[in-house]
Amino acid sequence: MSEKITRRDFLKLTAMGAAATAVMTGCGPMSRYVVRRPYTQMPEYNQTGESTYYASTCRECPAGCGILVRTREGRALTIEGNPNHPVNRGRLCARGLTAQQGLYNPDRVRGPRFQGRGKPTSPPRDLTWEEAVQVVGSALQKPPERIAFLLGLVPDHLFDLVSELTQALGAPPPLRYGALAALDGRTTLLEATRRLFDTPALPYFDLAQAEVTLAFGADFLQAWLSPVTYTRAYGNMRQGNPRRRGELIVFEPRQSLTAGNADRWVPIAPGSEAHVALALGGRVAELRGLPVPEAFRAVSLEEAARVSGIPAAQLEDLAVTFATAERPLALVGGSALTQPNGLVTAQAVLALNALVNNLGQPGGVFLTPAEATPAPLTAVSDLVRRMQAGEIEVLFIHGVNPLFELPAALGFAAALENVPLVISFAPFPDETALQSDYIFPDHSALESFGYQRSLAGADRPAWSASQPVVVPLYNTRATVDVLLAAAQAIGRALPYRDEVDFIQQKILPLLNAGGFYTAPEILTFWSRWLQYGGWWTPAAGLPAPRSPRLPASFGTLTPPPAPAEGQFYLLTYTNHLGDGSGANRPWLQELPDAMTTVTWNTWVEIHPTTAEHLGLKDDDVVRITTPYGAVEASVYRYPAIRPDTIAIPFGQGHTALGRWAEGRGCNPAQILPAATNPAGDPAFIGTTATLMPTGRRRPLARVESKDGVYGEH
Amino acid sequence: MAVESKPLETVLPAAHVEEDPREHLMFDPRPREEMNRMIMEAMTTTSRRYWAWVIGLALVVLICLFGAWGNMILTGMGLAGIRRPVFWGLFIVTFVFWIGISHAGTFVSAILRVFKAEFRRPFTRASELMTTFGLAAGALFPLIHLGRVWVFYWMIPYPNARWLWPNFRSPLVWDFLAITTYLLSSTIYLYLPLVPDLAMARDRTTGWRHTLYRLLALGWRGTEAEWHRLRRAITIFAFAIIPVMFSVHTIVSWDFAVGVVAGWHSTIFGPYFIIGAILSGVAAVVSILFVLRSTMQHMDYFIRKEHFDALGKLLLVFSMAWAYFFFNDYLLTWYGGEEAARRILTLHATGPAAWVWYLMLICNVLIPWLTLWNRTIRRTPWAMFIITLLINVGMYAERYTIIPLTLGHQRMPFDWGVYTPRPTEISIVIGTFALFLLLYLLASRLIPLVPVWEVQEGQMAHTLRRVGKAEVPSVTELE
Amino acid sequence: MAEERPAKWGLVVDLDRCTGCNACIAACSMENNVPFVGEDEVAYGRALYWIRTQRYWEGEYPAVTPTFQPVMCQQCGNAPCEPVCPVYASVHSEEEQINLAVYNRCVGTRYCANNCPYFARVFNWFDYELPEPMRSYLNPDVTVRRRGVMEKCTFCVQRIVRGRQKARAEGRELRDGEIQPACVQACPAEALVFGDLSDPESRVSQLARSQRRYHLLEELGTLPRVTYLKGVGNHGG
Repeated sequence: MSEKITRRDFLKLTAMGAAATAVMTGCGPMSRYVVRRPYTQMPEYNQTGESTYYASTCRECPAGCGILVRTREGRALTIEGNPNHPVNRGRLCARGLTAQQGLYNPDRVRGPRFQGRGKPTSPPRDLTWEEAVQVVGSALQKPPERIAFLLGLVPDHLFDLVSELTQALGAPPPLRYGALAALDGRTTLLEATRRLFDTPALPYFDLAQAEVTLAFGADFLQAWLSPVTYTRAYGNMRQGNPRRRGELIVFEPRQSLTAGNADRWVPIAPGSEAHVALALGGRVAELRGLPVPEAFRAVSLEEAARVSGIPAAQLEDLAVTFATAERPLALVGGSALTQPNGLVTAQAVLALNALVNNLGQPGGVFLTPAEATPAPLTAVSDLVRRMQAGEIEVLFIHGVNPLFELPAALGFAAALENVPLVISFAPFPDETALQSDYIFPDHSALESFGYQRSLAGADRPAWSASQPVVVPLYNTRATVDVLLAAAQAIGRALPYRDEVDFIQQKILPLLNAGGFYTAPEILTFWSRWLQYGGWWTPAAGLPAPRSPRLPASFGTLTPPPAPAEGQFYLLTYTNHLGDGSGANRPWLQELPDAMTTVTWNTWVEIHPTTAEHLGLKDDDVVRITTPYGAVEASVYRYPAIRPDTIAIPFGQGHTALGRWAEGRGCNPAQILPAATNPAGDPAFIGTTATLMPTGRRRPLARVESKDGVYGEH
Repeated sequence: MAVESKPLETVLPAAHVEEDPREHLMFDPRPREEMNRMIMEAMTTTSRRYWAWVIGLALVVLICLFGAWGNMILTGMGLAGIRRPVFWGLFIVTFVFWIGISHAGTFVSAILRVFKAEFRRPFTRASELMTTFGLAAGALFPLIHLGRVWVFYWMIPYPNARWLWPNFRSPLVWDFLAITTYLLSSTIYLYLPLVPDLAMARDRTTGWRHTLYRLLALGWRGTEAEWHRLRRAITIFAFAIIPVMFSVHTIVSWDFAVGVVAGWHSTIFGPYFIIGAILSGVAAVVSILFVLRSTMQHMDYFIRKEHFDALGKLLLVFSMAWAYFFFNDYLLTWYGGEEAARRILTLHATGPAAWVWYLMLICNVLIPWLTLWNRTIRRTPWAMFIITLLINVGMYAERYTIIPLTLGHQRMPFDWGVYTPRPTEISIVIGTFALFLLLYLLASRLIPLVPVWEVQEGQMAHTLRRVGKAEVPSVTELE
Repeated sequence: MAEERPAKWGLVVDLDRCTGCNACIAACSMENNVPFVGEDEVAYGRALYWIRTQRYWEGEYPAVTPTFQPVMCQQCGNAPCEPVCPVYASVHSEEEQINLAVYNRCVGTRYCANNCPYFARVFNWFDYELPEPMRSYLNPDVTVRRRGVMEKCTFCVQRIVRGRQKARAEGRELRDGEIQPACVQACPAEALVFGDLSDPESRVSQLARSQRRYHLLEELGTLPRVTYLKGVGNHGG
């Protein structure tokens, strides 16, 4: 794109909405509202048969990839990666590529409405935005400590605004939660970096230049932090350097896409990652001739071998490989963190990097500069407790679907009953929105302004910009505008005229912050900001973590519980459906899961020998029971999982969210524990599940031929 | 009739001499007028049961064939069970089946005529009708299986403004041309020997039948010159249609053999398909003869055990020939050792649908070989009926093995797929069977199913001569 | 106008980079208006993927590993699908040197699909209607196919044409890498490289000369325009 940008393109790109029936109006050179106008007054830049591209930011996950949306005659056609964007460099994953199916989804909420929590006594009815602003206004007038905001991981600008609003009102700060962050173990990573480097920041791993990479649980090719960044880095790690092909070794109980692409997959016992990381650390220090830090003495190689089920010789071999590599790197995330020992694992693995001296080095570990703000599960459960106790009078929900994403064991559903007023800003009728009193739908991502400043995949300081690429299809309104209007209506106005004004004021500090463009004043800056889809520095460069202060101990180690006969470790993971918000995109449903090739449903992965032992065949429906509940799913005999472990993908099992999502598969959140690790992230290991055949069969829609791939008829 | 007496040429083998030669139609003459009356009676008598069958079959054709097909045209090919990678299923299987059936008429009529096999005389027409109606049923399938049948005429070479011709490199265009040629020539070949019989019927009917036969008989009077021309024409057609027949099924086999599909790409497919077609066609003739004999008046006079006997011998020979070609195809593919082709052979014999493959071998080889050597079985019409039905089941299984079962397991195991026929296509297939039977049923009351003049001609050439005390059958060479 | 050098478009798939993430399928489907068919139809093998990742398993637990191989139309130089079509709906384009699917000429004999050793072709078993307003995202550069028509990967011929026209209008030659099919553009691992094979200096030509190169079912003599680069070690291909 970049080389093609002419002055004319520049004008095209800076222009905002462009729809079949719309152009913008507004005061000043830069318009901020997209207004419907007859097609006869088509904007000058919009030529029939010519595409117009808009740079924006993908909101399908918190990674914040830059996108270019190709529009024509006011319709958003295809979504392409923004080649200049530091996160994804023109590349995009399946979720981002199918975002149009969210924009044009027929099941969207088409205007503000009284939802009445789905009770038959209070049937839903449509409202006007004036009424909506009034409702929000009066809700904000409740005692501030009894107001709660539950926000999703995107967008950042809304979080910033709500933070200011709650501060102005004296209300508790908003909570940000998302299943993606929880399953990534982000809070644990933040806590680990805080402890080791004094800075709570998401680490950035320079995978592309690493020679030997040990990954503990982090499925960076599909879900973790910034999948497109890391997939691109993976490609370069393999073939980017003609002299040397990087090696990848993955410790996971269940082979994720990342482990599937590894040179060596080590099927580690769930919950023993910390032991292995500590033992390896001790060995690596010895091999590199360093004094073994106290914290790494906690576990011997033999003990780690015993706990993890990995032969000591193999651990020794791995330690040698890692210690002698020119550019070793150790990654940690996902299932290695979402367990009781998670915080120890995170610290041990980050410290392992320090042992091989790669902090701030090429092929090493950096810290992302922007503040990352996901709330730990403990904070959410605290909110749930207050809701349950009737301490919350108003709950605002945006960008998250707690009834679906939170472990049901947390009791959010019951607590919601005790909140007198629940207002949802969801653009889709998801589970939580349907249980709200009001739905005041926000624009969908491609109709919105905004920014994302916490970019875990950016190799440099960067902000990613969003702008509307089409006129809003329905009677929706930006939540920022609704909150600003409501605050004004109750006389607590914030100093922002509207959403655009707010964003412009927030990005003012970037004007001369050394980005690849500068501008003397905000309007010029704003046009560039929209044109390029954000702001970033011309050269790569992230702060290096300072050398860590290693404590005497990273924390207490809980040996992983050995599952009793008939009990299995239960894992859940995210695939291309992400946190489940993608389940209403039919093409995401149709997309084969990378490892199993299954589409449109949930399966439970069971090792073939285990299945044989239990008398289970493919497609048999089994009941998976934990102390917290039970779900049913079809069996997929998965050759790359530990025989003592079963796994269920996250994202299906919706009871709402429209025609393509509803009534499909099961939601593992229904059976996950509400337990947390010391950092506050969920701790799944420790809960075991039982399997019970139901006697029914439900064939999975798999793309692979069982006959051809497994030789079974 | 131009009958030239010749000296005794043939003495039947001793075993046959012992039985009464009058068991043979040729030595059991009846007066011409009586025979004509018998044929007229058989043709004009319709029972309540007959009409029940006609109406029933017509309903089946209407609902199962045209109803289901129409619905499929409006909804999409997806109503059939075909899928990636098995893009051809029952439609093409049944297409090949009907084209195979249609070989019977030509084979029995033309080849036996050319070789002067006398036993052919009473049933040449019955088998020629099978050719025409089999082709009519079979030729529907290339249309039925089209994704967009409403533009089927794009496959026809017709002049158009854009100079778009069909792709003559495509076997489907060859198919189209071959089948059209065969349909036209076999219809003419059916019609030619029919003319004297139609004239006979014309002279013995009144009302609409008379008008119909008068038109169809083309003013036949039975003069010497007319007979001469008729014989010349029949002889020319009999010789000319044989290569057409061979070409049709060879070309049908090329639909498969010219592809790169493992298991199809075999040079022996041409003759293999022809032998299979003749086997199934002759078997179908036997089945039909049994039905005619047991349902129509006076047919037991014309169609006798000797005919089942003779056709049974032919079937045995063709079953052996088919087995030979099958063996050849199998062995060379196996020995050639190409991985994909070999895998298909294994899958045919051991895969989930292996029963189809075994059914094919049992019906096409085992059953004929075990039974048809036996004269008593060959001369038991109901037994022959069952055996021939089974042979056609076997031949259907052969086509099923070759088409969907081979397509499902090609070179990329990741994309293998199992095909299951679905109600729509099963219904359409049943519909074409009903169509065939319906056409046959209607024809049986419209045209003389037995070529009376040919029988009479044959009977004139066969006489029993007294040599001493014994009666010796003697045959006079005609023409 | 100066005579243009005819391009010979080709694709290289580096299996050592490919992670099997399937982003290519999503990109392709959205660019080419490929309909989704729903669970039951996918289960019956009627999904309309123009590109799909073949995933096999190698080895036994715990040394088990999947191998990923994205397979799309190989744009054979000697394409088995072309001669068998009775109506010239499968033809070789002179300008792009690729195998075109002419949707409005197709009568749906499905012969081409049977004869494609790569199973690259898919069939529109039904009309796949999109509910309003989903039709809004349909790409106007690509025909929406109706029931009864074969379809397949076209190397995003609409992008090739658009790129060529743009270059022609600007009076210059096409730059290497300027034209990218949707899958290549999206591929997060940069495993797919597209370009002109007749230019020995193009990136795709250089990669296609790699020692790791191979063609799918090379022994059939179909002369595929897609080159695979074998994975290294136990990984890929």
